[in-house]
Amino acid sequence: MRAASAAVLALLLLPFAVGDFWAYQLGLLYLYAIAALGIGLCWGRTGFLPLGQGTFFGLAAYLSGLALIELDGSAWLIVLLPLAACASGLLAFLIGVLVFRRRGESGPYFSMITLALSLLAYQVANNWESVTGGFNGLKGIPGLPGLDSYTAAYEVAAVALAVSAFGIAWLYRAPLGVLWAALAHNERRVVLFGFDGNRLKAVAFGVSGLLAGIGGALYAPQQGLVTPQLCGFGLSADLVIWAAVGGRFRLLGPVLGAVLIGALTSGLRDRFQFWEIGIAIVFIAVVLLFPQGLIGIFAPLERRLGRRPAPAAGIAAPARRDPGGAAKLLVEGVHVRVGEVTILDGLSLALERPGIYCVIGPNGAGKTSTFNMLSGELAAQAGRVSFDGRPLARLATHRIVRLGIGRKFQIPSVFPALSIADNVAIALWSARATRLDLLRPRLRRWTSPVFEALVARYPFLADAGRTAAELSHGERQILELSMALLGEPRLLLLDEPCAGLSPQETAQVIAVIRWASERRGATVVVIEHDMSLVRELADHVFVLHNGSLLAEGTVSEIQGNVAVKAIYVGAEK
Amino acid sequence: MTQVPFVPARRRILSAAAGTAVLGTGWVGSALAQAKEFKVGFFIALSGPASLFGPTQRACADLAAEKINKAGGIMGRQVKLIFADAGGPPAETAKSAVRLMLEDKVDLFIGSHDSATREANIATIKGKTPYIYSPVYEGGECSPNVFCLGETPPQQAQPAIEFLAKEKKLKTFHLIGDDYVWPRKVNEQVKKFVAEYGGKVVGEEYVPFGAPNKFEEAVTRIKAAKPDAVIATLVGADNVNFNRTFAGFGLDKTIARLSLLLEENTLMGVGAENSANLYSCMGYFANNPSDAAKAFKAEYMAKYGEKAPQLATIGADCYSALNLAKALFDKAGAADAKKLAAASEGLVFATASGRVTMRGRQVDKDMYLAQCKGTEFEVIKTLKAIKSGTACRA
Amino acid sequence: MEPVLVAQALNALYGIASLAILALGLAVVLGLLGVLNLAHGELVMIGAYCAYVVQAQGWPYLYAVPLALVVCGVLGYVVERWLVRPLYQRPFDTLVVTWGLSLLLRKCAEAMFGLGYKSLTEPIGGTVEVLGATYPRYRLMLIVVSVLVLGALVLWYGRSRTGTRIKAMAGNPELARALGIPVRRYASATFVVGTCLAGLAGVMIAPLAPVQPFMGLDHILMSFFVLVVGGLGSVGGLLTGSAVIGGSNSIVSALSDGTGGYFCVLLLAIVFLWLRPRGIHARS
Repeated sequence: MRAASAAVLALLLLPFAVGDFWAYQLGLLYLYAIAALGIGLCWGRTGFLPLGQGTFFGLAAYLSGLALIELDGSAWLIVLLPLAACASGLLAFLIGVLVFRRRGESGPYFSMITLALSLLAYQVANNWESVTGGFNGLKGIPGLPGLDSYTAAYEVAAVALAVSAFGIAWLYRAPLGVLWAALAHNERRVVLFGFDGNRLKAVAFGVSGLLAGIGGALYAPQQGLVTPQLCGFGLSADLVIWAAVGGRFRLLGPVLGAVLIGALTSGLRDRFQFWEIGIAIVFIAVVLLFPQGLIGIFAPLERRLGRRPAPAAGIAAPARRDPGGAAKLLVEGVHVRVGEVTILDGLSLALERPGIYCVIGPNGAGKTSTFNMLSGELAAQAGRVSFDGRPLARLATHRIVRLGIGRKFQIPSVFPALSIADNVAIALWSARATRLDLLRPRLRRWTSPVFEALVARYPFLADAGRTAAELSHGERQILELSMALLGEPRLLLLDEPCAGLSPQETAQVIAVIRWASERRGATVVVIEHDMSLVRELADHVFVLHNGSLLAEGTVSEIQGNVAVKAIYVGAEK
Repeated sequence: MTQVPFVPARRRILSAAAGTAVLGTGWVGSALAQAKEFKVGFFIALSGPASLFGPTQRACADLAAEKINKAGGIMGRQVKLIFADAGGPPAETAKSAVRLMLEDKVDLFIGSHDSATREANIATIKGKTPYIYSPVYEGGECSPNVFCLGETPPQQAQPAIEFLAKEKKLKTFHLIGDDYVWPRKVNEQVKKFVAEYGGKVVGEEYVPFGAPNKFEEAVTRIKAAKPDAVIATLVGADNVNFNRTFAGFGLDKTIARLSLLLEENTLMGVGAENSANLYSCMGYFANNPSDAAKAFKAEYMAKYGEKAPQLATIGADCYSALNLAKALFDKAGAADAKKLAAASEGLVFATASGRVTMRGRQVDKDMYLAQCKGTEFEVIKTLKAIKSGTACRA
Repeated sequence: MEPVLVAQALNALYGIASLAILALGLAVVLGLLGVLNLAHGELVMIGAYCAYVVQAQGWPYLYAVPLALVVCGVLGYVVERWLVRPLYQRPFDTLVVTWGLSLLLRKCAEAMFGLGYKSLTEPIGGTVEVLGATYPRYRLMLIVVSVLVLGALVLWYGRSRTGTRIKAMAGNPELARALGIPVRRYASATFVVGTCLAGLAGVMIAPLAPVQPFMGLDHILMSFFVLVVGGLGSVGGLLTGSAVIGGSNSIVSALSDGTGGYFCVLLLAIVFLWLRPRGIHARS
């Protein structure tokens, strides 16, 4: 914190050291840097690349310019200028909501939409002459009232940059920031913890739009002119390049990129005819040799300066708001077809009492697909599924999870780039954190009785120093299982939880599963291949074959069943 | 809200002190004055698509500066040109303007770039330093301490339409242009003059500026409409593309074309086999037959020889701009905005084409109508002293 | 049939064909290798300059084809080997690197040829009567050649063993490698084919477009829209995308003006990206 305050002070005092021209230039670059922060947020943190931030920068600049021209000197400007920035943020959020409707749309499609939008915005700004002044731009924009010199304009930009940086730093520390980082690596898992991944991405995009809007709103009074170029691809591309070269994975990387490369470009363009070659070589070199960006050079310094926060006392997480009692799951005649292939063919099963159920069957029987269908990831063409009497038919996955269904994957699916403690925290927030809670950094210290019990068994779960990627396979299985349990679901779907574990680890996992079923009253459904495990665990067994239920009963009943034996050994001709 | 010029008081004291010294010490004083250069911040295109013109802009400017310095400089001071890039986004150029103002402390700006950049520069400079804007533009620039010498829409439209309507007796016209301020302003004037000469505009269309445009559909439409002539206010690659497509479809044989921003480089792109029946109307052509133009070309070739960058109007305007600067400052005697404005009224100075008169901080000039022969222009008509159509108050 | 309608229909065909042939190289690289090659437009530009060089020397125009293939092929190999291969796992980074590359290539072209527009003569000039409309010969020939090239590629990719192997590699590189398919060599070859196709397209459009270092920028954008609308990974997708984008642009431009056509393209691209993000013909 002290380092940060010193940096801000140095920032504010800079113009007195470097003179008026640099104050002017840096003031402009800081505004671009604020917009570049947004690119770092979307691209470096949340994993999608916006290629049209110029749209939001330009929109706020035009709104701010119009407000300044109409209401020059009025006190209303104090409200209107931030509103201009918010307009950009809101537009970005709405676009995000509309675009991120399907699962996993972070790829080139989103980028292309934002690119097309910025081209459209440029044309609109160019052609709508009566409002925007057309190609020549909106001119005669007065400066901010009372701020006449280059130094004053610089201070405004510097303060805006500092505030924005601190704001984003806070968001990164809050649960929202952790979830964004989780989204970048494993969106499916985030959704399966009950978070609306699409909405979170839209919020990220909205915040980035707000940042671009702040830059744009301050740009108008500083430059006195807003031209359609701001909306177009040129500025948008520059922002992406600055974020990439500066280092998009760190908070201040984009800022460094914007200021450094921006200043370098300005300095070179008048002096060298082929300055663009130099810039191009810098881009290529940075990407190939310094994937962390230029700010990666400062990383060792940062490590030495930054103090590790002392582990703070845990805060009790609020209890889940659940209806009590055993989970009741009813599946009736579900058909699932993908393309030409029938995956589930009239599947019917019922779970009424708590306990441990095992689902077995040959490969391709539809076991994992059943789980996918239950969690809402696979759409059923026919049939009904109800949980506690409530139909699950068209509910989104995250809503289904919030009803009390938890899942663990066959291949351990955690968040490898996050620390173990953060992984666990996400599970704790599942179905407990309200929207507003996601903004509170203190949520990272949540703990619950289940967590205490698990940590007693597996101390590594409390480790905030290591990332999940550093765990062994077995530890990762346990982590994921613990995370599934921490959500305290009433129906727990486990897909081969002991795959790849040593005998001791397997025994531990079995103990945990039993504990969850007996002590917590959860209904546990386990997909397993290993009959010895099934014998140990199962109260009741479902046998799946070709997408439907072949047989069910206790273990001994199943073992005596002729049809079951046939499918395992081989059907008689 | 004007920005307070930084440390004005100190400057005044300094210049007062210098003045006293000059008065007091005769030849030492004049040596001091000569040693202080007349710095010109010169904006030319050094990057981006327009950097095609950079070499000739620089060459013409250097030629003019050399000539002026030989004749004693501006206000007795040797001219020093400081070039800056205007090919990037307007905000970048404005930044260079600030640097030239604060660090290099230039006495004059000359800008050879597009209108958006002009607006940005003017908004940043706020009239504190004189600004000469040299290229052809849409007219109407009356910001204080700004002087324009490029062709304006009335100056281009009138001779062009007069030639097509009266001499070639063409009646119907189709207008096509890029969608931004200059073509639209030109077309306003074109429509006015077409009506005046008894013609009819049968079509008017615009293509998006900055988009990858193809012209097959437009050409086919024009072919079906069968106008007598097409007036094109397309720029750059769009202009080249349109003209090539037009001729590719064989329309060059039956429909005349007049392109209002067709200069030597663009014509090279259009190509010799696509330039039949193609006309242009500008204030300067490399093949201009006037005495002044021939002399200018001879000087230019003598200085740069074989490797001389292609002469075109945008470069010639840079030469003219420095001439304007010398005439203006020498007549005003000081860098004061009011004195300059007063001196500019009725000022006659030499351009690459000949002598022109400045009125209302715009220039009344001779316009030349040229026909394309292969990849060269042949001036077929000179129209004298066409008014700029903009009347700025001093 | 009305000559105007015939001419506009041919314009639409030409628009679609030219879009398809220009986007083809990009489709190959993006669809099969997942690499966003932002220098694609510059490779087209290089092909066009090869044609210029050939014509300036007075050689027959067809010589431009092998020249462009060689130049773009070598360039493609070098780029894949040193710039793209380290970055296969980092798709966004290929974007930045190829952006830098496109800047470099533009500057090199500027240094070699200057910034002026180069004018090429159509190798087959003049117009010809088609169903009552007069249409330029060279554009007709371009339509024909595009169809042939696309057709040949479809047949080869669908039928040949190499095509199957490449499909396997694109679908599951680890498995392909395990099966003994030389993934690296095929990846390199695929990239080279992509750049060669770009160069070939450049040779084809050189007489029709203004040839200058910035010409590539126009084509890269349209090519991307074509691919995302039509769907990555299949020639059918490329053709569908070209048909939608090129066709709509042509029809709207014919009816109103260029601005309308351009807005239509942008809006269509946005709508398609929003509602059918996998494109019309998506690889499942």
